[in-house]
Amino acid sequence: MRERLRRFFAASFPVDWDQLRALGAEPVPHHLKHWWWCLGGTPLYLFVVQVATGILLTLYYVPDPSGAYESVAHITRDVRFGWYIRSLHKWSATLMIAAVFLHMLRVFFTGAYRWPRQLNWCVGTALLATTLGFGFTGYSLVYEQLSFWGATVAANLVEAVPLVGHPAALLMRGGAEVSGNTLTRFFVFHIGLFPTVMLFLLFLHILLIRLHGVTEFEFPGERVAPEERTFPFWPHHATTELAIGVLLMYVLTILALTLPAGLGPKANPQVTPMHIHPEWYFYFSFRLLKLTSLRTSVYLTLALGLGLLGWPFLEDALHRWLRMPRDASVVVGVLGFGAFLVLTVWESLAG
Amino acid sequence: MDVERRSFLAAVAAATGLVLSYGLFAAYAVSFLFPPPVRRRPRRLFLGRQADFRPGEARSLVDDRGRTLLVIADGGTLTAFDTRCPHLGCQVHWEPKEARFVCPCHLGMFDRNGVAFAGPPAAAHQALTRVPLDVDAVSGTVFLRSDA
Amino acid sequence: MSLDAKRIVIAVLSFFFLASLLLVAWRETLKQRAEEEPKPIVTATNAACVTCHRQRSAGLVMEWEASRHAQVGVGCVECHQAREDVPGAWRHEGVVVTTLVTPTNCGRCHEKEVAEFSRSHHARAGEIIYSLDNVIALKIAGTPGNPADAVNGCWQCHGSLVRFQRDADGQIVRSGPEGRPLLAPETWPNSGMGRLNPDGSKGSCHACHSRHEFKAKLSRSPENCGKCHMGPDHPQIEIYNESKHGIAFYANRDRMALNKEGDWVLGRDYAAAPTCATCHIAGYVAVTGELKGNSHDVGERISWTLRPIVSTKINLVRFSDGTQDDFPDTRPLPAVGATVDTTDYVVENEKLVARTVPRTVASVVPWQTRREAMQGVCRTCHDQAFVDNFYAQYDSLVTLYNEKFAIPAKQMMDELAAEGVLDPKSPFGEPLQWTFYELWHHQGRRARHGASMMGPDYTHWHGMYEVAKTFYTEFLPEVVETAARRGRGPEWQAKVAALLARPEHLWKAGLSPEEAGALGQSYRQRYGAKNEPAAAR
Repeated sequence: MRERLRRFFAASFPVDWDQLRALGAEPVPHHLKHWWWCLGGTPLYLFVVQVATGILLTLYYVPDPSGAYESVAHITRDVRFGWYIRSLHKWSATLMIAAVFLHMLRVFFTGAYRWPRQLNWCVGTALLATTLGFGFTGYSLVYEQLSFWGATVAANLVEAVPLVGHPAALLMRGGAEVSGNTLTRFFVFHIGLFPTVMLFLLFLHILLIRLHGVTEFEFPGERVAPEERTFPFWPHHATTELAIGVLLMYVLTILALTLPAGLGPKANPQVTPMHIHPEWYFYFSFRLLKLTSLRTSVYLTLALGLGLLGWPFLEDALHRWLRMPRDASVVVGVLGFGAFLVLTVWESLAG
Repeated sequence: MDVERRSFLAAVAAATGLVLSYGLFAAYAVSFLFPPPVRRRPRRLFLGRQADFRPGEARSLVDDRGRTLLVIADGGTLTAFDTRCPHLGCQVHWEPKEARFVCPCHLGMFDRNGVAFAGPPAAAHQALTRVPLDVDAVSGTVFLRSDA
Repeated sequence: MSLDAKRIVIAVLSFFFLASLLLVAWRETLKQRAEEEPKPIVTATNAACVTCHRQRSAGLVMEWEASRHAQVGVGCVECHQAREDVPGAWRHEGVVVTTLVTPTNCGRCHEKEVAEFSRSHHARAGEIIYSLDNVIALKIAGTPGNPADAVNGCWQCHGSLVRFQRDADGQIVRSGPEGRPLLAPETWPNSGMGRLNPDGSKGSCHACHSRHEFKAKLSRSPENCGKCHMGPDHPQIEIYNESKHGIAFYANRDRMALNKEGDWVLGRDYAAAPTCATCHIAGYVAVTGELKGNSHDVGERISWTLRPIVSTKINLVRFSDGTQDDFPDTRPLPAVGATVDTTDYVVENEKLVARTVPRTVASVVPWQTRREAMQGVCRTCHDQAFVDNFYAQYDSLVTLYNEKFAIPAKQMMDELAAEGVLDPKSPFGEPLQWTFYELWHHQGRRARHGASMMGPDYTHWHGMYEVAKTFYTEFLPEVVETAARRGRGPEWQAKVAALLARPEHLWKAGLSPEEAGALGQSYRQRYGAKNEPAAAR
């Protein structure tokens, strides 16, 4: 009986298990034992958490202005463990975006964007944009006052972009103003379009990593024995990733218990609340808008975004034509991230 | 402890931990999937005065639990029926001339007391649910009693 | 870190994760235990009203939502719906409604309460229109074109006679696209107790049961009655506040079960103190253990009438058509089955007219039975000896007032009128008439009410002291002076002297030497020589 089952399984699912084991045991460079190299896997894990909790939330969410807020209230108040699933979703979003930022910092400061990996850096930047897009659309779906006015401001900012601004804003809002159409679009972006784009970009990102392979690093003062220069992905690195996964679940649960997702007042198109602000990851842009004119802010943000996207090429050009030493990138990175931090902290303290 | 045994125990500990913790989480997610029970207190719904019901009148209403009900004034008494057919849940029609309820889905029929006499509900000895009414003796006001 | 170490780390982290999940479960159970808040039921009939009025009169809708009516689906249409032929009805958004909700409307469901209320004096409060009080407000304080004193004053407690604005042809003035009838501003808004309504009913339930929440707690609280039952001529709320009943209430307000749903019974639901409603309306547990129900006929337990110049006991004569009348003990009681001519005040053509209606006597309730009904309430907390002695104290005060001051004063006023010194058609022409009015209508009532509800300060200082002072220092001298102006001075001087010669007035002659000595000594001892009364030395 057992033999017949084994033969049936082997024929209908003809996987070469030995080959698979060999694939899994692929040698991974030693430096991946340092924890800050797990900052790539972290957002991936959190994305899985988001998809799981997101699907659960979609079962109760109503994507129409007449029912959106109430359905979120229903989830938070009545549905069994609704408050927990929702809080996980909210905190996972924050942690995922933070992890992406940290991962990009790691990649930047280890120069891993340089030839031949420029394209992968662009894919990564696109992943960042998609993640931010998730955060923005997701928060708008709650249809609180901050959701509504955040969406209004963001759409009007898009409107201010030269050339493509107006049609882009129309596409975004589904009309000249934020309305039921906007909510429907944001919902479709959040549960349909962005996940598809994300999955595609993730596939590209991981494919490129696998194709390029991981460069071996050596840190000053660190002596690595020849047999320790690599270690197998399975089970060693995979176990590390698993441990991080459990740690993240623990941290998310503690956050859900101590700082559960609340609900502000319902969206009122007639009244903008006195104390308004976007989510923390847009604080830098918010503060910038308060410091400069609309035009300056939009152009500056656009320039910074494009600069980030094309940094590998920009660095190359700067090096080739302005003779900028490659190590100067570190300064650029420190200044750039420093500015981001300053603006973010400033807004969080003052707002 | 030898290495193999330690490895085995460590693996078991990890596996147990993962199964228990993620398993409990999965249990919560499954619990989330089932819609929450609606916690209701027993309530009364004002229907009017007994005197306001014409003889033979059949008044349809939806109560606060979303049930469609039919209140029939028959021979001086008022009865409230839940018009959901006990067979498979369609809404029955009241035919005053024949003094019977007819279910359009599978032609179940119920008499003036809500007892099935034809069709699948009769075969299963079913009847329409009656919802209790409170009639105040002094003022003649009629309330529907919907218990939790 | 070795693989095994990592696995141990996973095991430990899983443990922490598991522990946190247990906390999540605990939090979830706490949340599940939370009580469901009662929600108002908006039926299909009322949905449109509520939606529109939630914006146009948000407070009104919010009040209704908090009411017990809303809990059972009784909403706008159930109370405001009217027949087309009712004066003041109009078609509003497809439903025929009336602005004014009268006892007739409330009585569709609250039949017992409306029946009891309608036969009581509360329902007749609007009949004040024929009283001296109304004369003061309309004619003395007001002008023919401006009855504002009555409109804003008297009628706001007693109830107005509700009229509509009329055009030159006498037709009701209507406004707006729906032809809403306009109510005459002098007569509405008005929530007076005895409001005379266009549909023929008398009274206003929401005088006590304020709309639209109709909160039981409000109606049972003494402040509710205090809107009207206060002031110089009937300070019931002030007396209650002074009394030990009132003190007990305010100290134990949260133990009074004021907002209890359904009936509110002394001795079962609360016992800390009585409120106005307790003694005059509400149910109680009798000494036999039997539950006595409530009655909105506020006169059922009253044995004295403290309103008129001379107080009398009042017997209740009930007629076969459900109406009733108070018969003062000076009036012979009819037999059951006898026909009696009663006076009905009815509204005809928006005017109050008196009509004589013969009625058949169904039963007679003597004042003793009424007193016994009140004593039933007292006995829930006090024993019979206590109650008997209280009534003895109370009766003696009323008798004192009657016999020493009211009867003699009235007699003098009647005689002066008979002799033509006073003109009965000019009730307030002479200062003497004002003095007499205040003597019985204000001061004398305060004394009597004070005794009835255990307010000693009102009984004495605001009551009998002022009665006595007015009687001796103002009334009697003014009698002589007024008579003198009509040339009958000496005659009335003699009459007053004859009165003052009676034993109860002999104090005017002065204190005896022993009394004066004792008085002087007590002052000297307590307050020193500086405070010794001059007369005593």
